[in-house]
Amino acid sequence: MGGHFRLLLQVAFRNLFTSKINLLIGGIIFLGTLLVVVGGALLDSMDSAMSRSIIGSVAGHIQVYSDESKDELGLFGQMGGEPDLAAVDDFSRIKPVLEKHPNVKTVVPMGTSGALITSGNTVDLTLARLRDLYKKRAESGETPGLRENIDSLKAHVRQMVALMEEEMAKSSVLLSDTARSPEEKEALARARSDAFWSAFESDPFGSLEFLENRIAPQIPDGDMLYLRYAGTDLDRFQSTFDRMELVDGQPVPKGQRGMLLSKFFYEQYLKLKTARRLDLIQQELELNKKTIARDPQLQRWVKENQTQTREIVFQLDPIKTRLAVERLQKVLGSQEPKLDKLLSAFFATDDANFDTRYKQFYAELAPLLELYRLRLGDSLTITAFTKSGYVQSVNVKVYGTYQFKGLEKSALAGALNLMDLMSFRDLYGYLTADKKEELAELQKQSGVKAVSREDAESALFGEDSGNTLVAEATPGLINDQDTLHGAMDSLRRDDLTKRVYSQSEIEQGVVLSAAVILKDPEKLQQTLAELKQSATDAGLKLRVVSWQQAAGIIGQFVLLAKLVLYAAVFIIFVVVLVIINNAMMMATLQRVREVGTMRAIGAQRGFVLGMVLVETLLLGLVFGAGGMLLGSGIMAALGSAGIPAGNEALYFFFSGPRLYPSLSAGNLIAAFIIVMVVSAISTLYPAFLATRVSPLQAMQTDE
Amino acid sequence: MSLKSVMSAAVLAVALLSAPAALALAPAEMVKLLATIDDRQRNGGDYKALVYLEQKEKDKTDTVREAFVYRRDADDKLMILFSRPKTEAGKGYLRLDKNLWSYDPNVGKWERRTERERIAGTDSRRADFDESRLAEEYDPSFEGEGKLGKYTANMLTLKAKQGVDVAYPVIKLWVDKDTTNVLKREEYALSGRKMRTLLYPRWKKLFSESKGADVWYPEEIRIYDEVEKANSTVILIKSIDLRSLEANLFTKAWLESKSR
Repeated sequence: MGGHFRLLLQVAFRNLFTSKINLLIGGIIFLGTLLVVVGGALLDSMDSAMSRSIIGSVAGHIQVYSDESKDELGLFGQMGGEPDLAAVDDFSRIKPVLEKHPNVKTVVPMGTSGALITSGNTVDLTLARLRDLYKKRAESGETPGLRENIDSLKAHVRQMVALMEEEMAKSSVLLSDTARSPEEKEALARARSDAFWSAFESDPFGSLEFLENRIAPQIPDGDMLYLRYAGTDLDRFQSTFDRMELVDGQPVPKGQRGMLLSKFFYEQYLKLKTARRLDLIQQELELNKKTIARDPQLQRWVKENQTQTREIVFQLDPIKTRLAVERLQKVLGSQEPKLDKLLSAFFATDDANFDTRYKQFYAELAPLLELYRLRLGDSLTITAFTKSGYVQSVNVKVYGTYQFKGLEKSALAGALNLMDLMSFRDLYGYLTADKKEELAELQKQSGVKAVSREDAESALFGEDSGNTLVAEATPGLINDQDTLHGAMDSLRRDDLTKRVYSQSEIEQGVVLSAAVILKDPEKLQQTLAELKQSATDAGLKLRVVSWQQAAGIIGQFVLLAKLVLYAAVFIIFVVVLVIINNAMMMATLQRVREVGTMRAIGAQRGFVLGMVLVETLLLGLVFGAGGMLLGSGIMAALGSAGIPAGNEALYFFFSGPRLYPSLSAGNLIAAFIIVMVVSAISTLYPAFLATRVSPLQAMQTDE
Repeated sequence: MSLKSVMSAAVLAVALLSAPAALALAPAEMVKLLATIDDRQRNGGDYKALVYLEQKEKDKTDTVREAFVYRRDADDKLMILFSRPKTEAGKGYLRLDKNLWSYDPNVGKWERRTERERIAGTDSRRADFDESRLAEEYDPSFEGEGKLGKYTANMLTLKAKQGVDVAYPVIKLWVDKDTTNVLKREEYALSGRKMRTLLYPRWKKLFSESKGADVWYPEEIRIYDEVEKANSTVILIKSIDLRSLEANLFTKAWLESKSR
């Protein structure tokens, strides 16, 4: 038997390099192995990069949320807004149940939601600041510093009114005069008059109301912005999720209310639009090697910077306007006195001057401007529709900006801003028992009869309704003063920003979900099942899901990407299988004479079968090893150099600007097994055919 | 048969024959009807009402509010100040000229809102609390007569006049023939989509010194959301006080001072 096998091997080795067809098959196996090794390793590296992105940013390994939820959890949002989740009434009840499990390292409370925030227009914002100063003066008297601030803002407002009148004069040339009503013109003329400004101090609040109601609405440039936020225990979040890093500012002090805005969001939506466009152009030129001359998007940005200068012009008070004019004149070597014309000339950038202008903008103009609509350290007013349907507003101080490493450029992940749990709960508006009781009492006092919509008309207007269209009312004397007095014990905003919450205060209350970090992520599935069981045992109605499911839309995206890659590899294998099969058929047919001769001198069918199979397996072994070797080489090279992420989506998949793939023994073993199995399968039929060859048949075959 | 009886028979015949035509209202009559509706609800001087608001939404706890509504009809001014529940106290809306401002004492900020803003998250709009300005804001056309429970109503379609900012550009109105009170009102978006249906089952009147006549008001308003069919709002005007109000009431400073 040993000699038998040696003979087979000898034949196989002899044929290995002499037969052209064998070389072809070898080549295919070589390439196939290379593909499996490289593709498999890349796929695995990407998979682990993506899961690291998601697990390390917000999801953790496991997410837990209420089983009474209508939708499934989607930490990165879902199509059509936030998923509808039922609240977990008290986080401190579910936390110990989860933490009891030996594989659970940390549990982080969470909740995501969103709100539209309004910025108000430029004039509105300036007037609001002026109003605040006058309020301060009314409360605690005037100081020289306050006076200076007031005067500077007043000058700024006057400047804005002057600009508006200029714009009006310009637009009335272009449009007909009807675009503005006579009342608007009249108001503008009054706000321009010296009489108005000299009388300003005698009734500042009256004057302000005139400006707020008659002047500010004339420039409709207020923005609505969708703000997506996750409320969480910020301290714990920061120490748990390693992908999260602070970019600017400082972390929210322990136990305090506050927010960290996503760097992506802050840059994209809160930065001065002109500056943002300059940044984007710079990035496209630098990173993606585009040119203004050829790229229409860049040309559009340049154009917008030239034409949309109002945001800058309105921002500057008279002193800063003078400075800006001087600096631009110097930079451009121009004598033009008008700021808007200077700006338009300054922003006329092309590939040659862009770098210089970009630097000049940040060196000369930016110091005069508010680059961001919201400075770090300022408060952001967030108004949200609460779960119970009413509107709730909260001021939250923005301490800094953060990003998830590897997700910096992902618009979905970048839309998530972090907020403390207390502010989140206020905005979520969970009704406590006290509040519910108060509402029920009000409802009872009202005596409103429930009327179903369908028969509302007959119930309200019918003979038995008891309603009449004519009745005498008793003259009412409504005492609003007493009612309002003492009712104002709603949350005081000053107290809220200063208060420090204890850990138990933070943990006792509503959350929407909780992230669970495991000690051993390998045991994810097992822990998932066990946590589910212990929640049921504890009488908690909880849904326990993996990070991939919890990531919602992004999780599905990851799954889809993986499926596509696997499908591609599978298709390639099917093709390889067919090619090898065909090549083997040809090889067998070519050797009909040889096989026939062998059979004639006494070779059994089994010997012929073995001969063909061993030959293929040897082919697989030799060329497969070659492919693996080259594949390992390629992976090693890629692993040290990294694959650059060419676009935004790849940043996410690569978990950073470059993917550093690695090759595992598993990849090699899988490739080896796949190659051998595929070779064997593709040879079976040709080998079977070869055994059917009879010596007679072989003799009859023409050479 | 005497000439007199022939004449009276003829008059009767003419009257009977022309009866269907007489039902339709001429444009001038309709404008007058709207003006009457507006005028009956207007009080020359000041107006203060205690209002109850209840909002029902699918799968949500009912939202319940109490508010004071202040009006100075002579100057077209309106203010809504919430008093209950405690967490809502001090929040308010202020209409000044064409601006609708909202104020929240929790954040100390004013925001400019639009006519389409839902008041306190309910299905009500600013106009539901404000002085009636139908004749000023809309052009009517006649749609016929209809029954609504035990009442017979004239049906009108109103289209917003050019350049007037209203929450809904088209309104259908059912006006009781006997009392000239509005019974039902359907509001449509520009696209023709029905947005809200309002029912006014109870009206009351009160003698006003400043006007020298009665002031009418709907004691109950039922609002049905036609987009989110499960949503509805009830407004009760619990009482009305027609004494004059403080001079500086309709200012931001006044509203702010209430929660200080």
